Amino acid sequence: MTEVSAQIPVLIIAGYLGAGKTTLVNQMLSTATSRIAVIVNDFGSVNIDAALIAERHDDTIELTNGCVCCVVGESLTDVLFAIGDRPQQPDFIIIEASGVADPSVVASYAHLSGFHLGGVLVLVDAVNAVTTSLDTYVGVTFARQVRTADLVAITKSDIASSEELQNTRRLVAETAPRTPVIEASAVDLSSLLHLHRAEHLTDTTSVHASFSTSVLDTSTVTTETSLQGFLNSLSPKTVRVKGIVELRDGTRVLVQRVGMYASLTTTTLAPTGLVAIHAE
Amino acid sequence: MDISPQGSSDGVIFTARVIRTANPSRPIATAIAVRDEKVLAVGTLEDCQAWGITEVDTQFENKVLTAGFIEAHGHMGTGMFGTIPYVGFFPRQMPDGTVTAGITSTEQLIERLQVLDAELENGAPLVASGFDPIYMAGDRLTRHHLDAVSTTRPIFVMHASIHLATVNSVVLNKYGIGPAHPAPGVGFDTAGTPNGELREPAAMGLAKDEFRVFASSMFGPRTMADFALTMRNAGITTSTDLANSFALNENALTQSLDATAEDSFPLRIAAATSIQGGPPAMPDLVTKVVTAQKSSHNKLMFPVVKLVLDGSIQGFTATVAWPGYFRGEDHGLFLTPPEQVVDLLRPFHQAGIGIHCHCNGNMAAEVFISAIDVLLREHSWLDHRHTITHAQLITPAQMRRARNLGMNANFFVNHVWFWGDQHHDITVGPDRAHAMNPCANADRIGLPYSFHSDAPVTPPGHLHTIWAAVNRVSPSGKVIGPNERISIDRAFHAATIDAAYQLHLDHLIGSLEVGKLADLTVLEEDPYEVDPMNIKDIKVWGTVIGGVVHQAPHS
Repeated sequence: MTEVSAQIPVLIIAGYLGAGKTTLVNQMLSTATSRIAVIVNDFGSVNIDAALIAERHDDTIELTNGCVCCVVGESLTDVLFAIGDRPQQPDFIIIEASGVADPSVVASYAHLSGFHLGGVLVLVDAVNAVTTSLDTYVGVTFARQVRTADLVAITKSDIASSEELQNTRRLVAETAPRTPVIEASAVDLSSLLHLHRAEHLTDTTSVHASFSTSVLDTSTVTTETSLQGFLNSLSPKTVRVKGIVELRDGTRVLVQRVGMYASLTTTTLAPTGLVAIHAE
Repeated sequence: MDISPQGSSDGVIFTARVIRTANPSRPIATAIAVRDEKVLAVGTLEDCQAWGITEVDTQFENKVLTAGFIEAHGHMGTGMFGTIPYVGFFPRQMPDGTVTAGITSTEQLIERLQVLDAELENGAPLVASGFDPIYMAGDRLTRHHLDAVSTTRPIFVMHASIHLATVNSVVLNKYGIGPAHPAPGVGFDTAGTPNGELREPAAMGLAKDEFRVFASSMFGPRTMADFALTMRNAGITTSTDLANSFALNENALTQSLDATAEDSFPLRIAAATSIQGGPPAMPDLVTKVVTAQKSSHNKLMFPVVKLVLDGSIQGFTATVAWPGYFRGEDHGLFLTPPEQVVDLLRPFHQAGIGIHCHCNGNMAAEVFISAIDVLLREHSWLDHRHTITHAQLITPAQMRRARNLGMNANFFVNHVWFWGDQHHDITVGPDRAHAMNPCANADRIGLPYSFHSDAPVTPPGHLHTIWAAVNRVSPSGKVIGPNERISIDRAFHAATIDAAYQLHLDHLIGSLEVGKLADLTVLEEDPYEVDPMNIKDIKVWGTVIGGVVHQAPHS
């Protein structure tokens, strides 16, 4: 288990071109209640409301709500360390991967000292996914992205035909049979994904009404091993878990689980119990 | 009627045993007259003296002069060994001309590091690069070996592949890299303790300060100066820097233009501006390249731009069409989405800027060729010379199409030697290995091409690339692709005038013709006359750039 001290969680948002990564990132930035640092490949696609922009530099945009948007530039290592060196550290970091990136390579940077991985979300476009999966050049890339996901979100289900949606569901299930899948709009996903460091985890139940939530019975959790076993036994429909539990030896553990990926960090804050969010 | 030659007696005539001009209409000469950094005459001593020049410099009387070699795909990071100690397997010449002996065992590595440790001030990290254990017997390098050098100083040894580094326990402890560290790329021993191996940049970045020392050695004024010295030592008169970012940074541009303008700076640099990611990400990129072109001089030019489409064959990240890799898992990936390539290249094509695109795999080549096809239907430009760089797995059909579209190839022919056996046995298998970097087939088809070393990926120097193209032998003794071997004359042109052509610089450099810049490579022997297997062993005396003599040390 990693130590909590000054560790910033890093969430990877990946998926092929047009899957809605930028829309989701913009939604998260504009509704942020915590301090988010977003790392993007370029500012060209970021469409932040002008009223939200406090300062614009060559490689960063500071927002009035305390968030910041950074361009990756020469090296992901450098931009992560630059964020870590900021006087106001963010609560969490989102890396928006490029449309052809292998998410596992991007995620490997989340273990630099001062950071930990918060999980890999891969967006899949319900309209175009099947075509992309059959493409001579990028079909392999698409499959690799879906297989790497801790959580797959099928987007654009509102504008896809029912046949397209069915085929996309089947494609995702065949490509990554054990990965939790949700179908959600950017607004819903945004409410689901906000990660927090322990000191900011005040309200564990504020998620969007379109998901059902429940408080998990953690009475069987006594050790780190049993906590991991407990998390692994949850249904694939449980797409998100968060909260603080106390182990038998008094260790308090902040649980942040996105899809199948759980990050466990120690904390001194009071236990809150674990809240689970379920896909319909 | 007595008509005197124009001008004055200004200038100098160099005489030589033989001069190889790379100009087929007058391929051989014995004297060359230089005035105002340009070739005034090339032919016999009498031809040169007829212009009225009286000063004859005979220092090359017993040497061989050739049209200056042009490295069509090199990197400024080649200068890194001026600041980072070299610990590679093969002896390597340093920028100052000294030769660092090869490290052929772990014991030798430890001894070398102990010497370096004694020279360093307290607390400073010891960072070395180029370690190449694939030819060595014995245990793999771990933290325990490096702990024998120091238990107080951080030690970071980058391997030749640049995909792996080994660090000592000081580094592991400094960054809290312990058992069960979650980062992929951290290596463990059988007891579950980190063994000091850090794979790929994400894991190397865990050793923050030490990795920065390594990364910063690839750029900056000192590296540029060492790059020029290293290239001079290898007989290169013009090298590309593929890719470069001077055009994007006004300070770097001004400083580099000043530094390279000095007569003592022994290299012309053809900087290929990186367009990775933009436009539309960087909408003013075209303007910046054009501005750099306008402010350039003939020692630092900005003739083309560079895009990378895929990875490497030996790293299994090149995009290889069916049936894919022979053995090993396919990690092929496009670094730029294929569907965005046309939009990304359009503004450069329309502005009349040549595009060099990294395509190791044949799928990447297909995407690039198809993009140029689209752009030419939109916007006619007969003289674009857009270049497929590496082009290692290009197919005959792709070459015919590229020829029809007016494109060029730039082959990585050194691969036949450095990874030829691996390609034959592992990456693509015997069939395609024999057709890799297909120089002879490009000639049959009529596709213009050059060569490159991709230095520092392989050591710089065209005697080695020419040798590889002429002989195509591998370390195990195979001839890989006997039907793709070419003549010394053809290879010499690929290393000189054909490189200049694909950089849009053939009116200035690449051959010894009246009016072009007087750039010469000075050799101890004639590559046309020696046994073809000995071409790579010819000693480089130095270079002449714009008439200024640059002798390599210890020659």
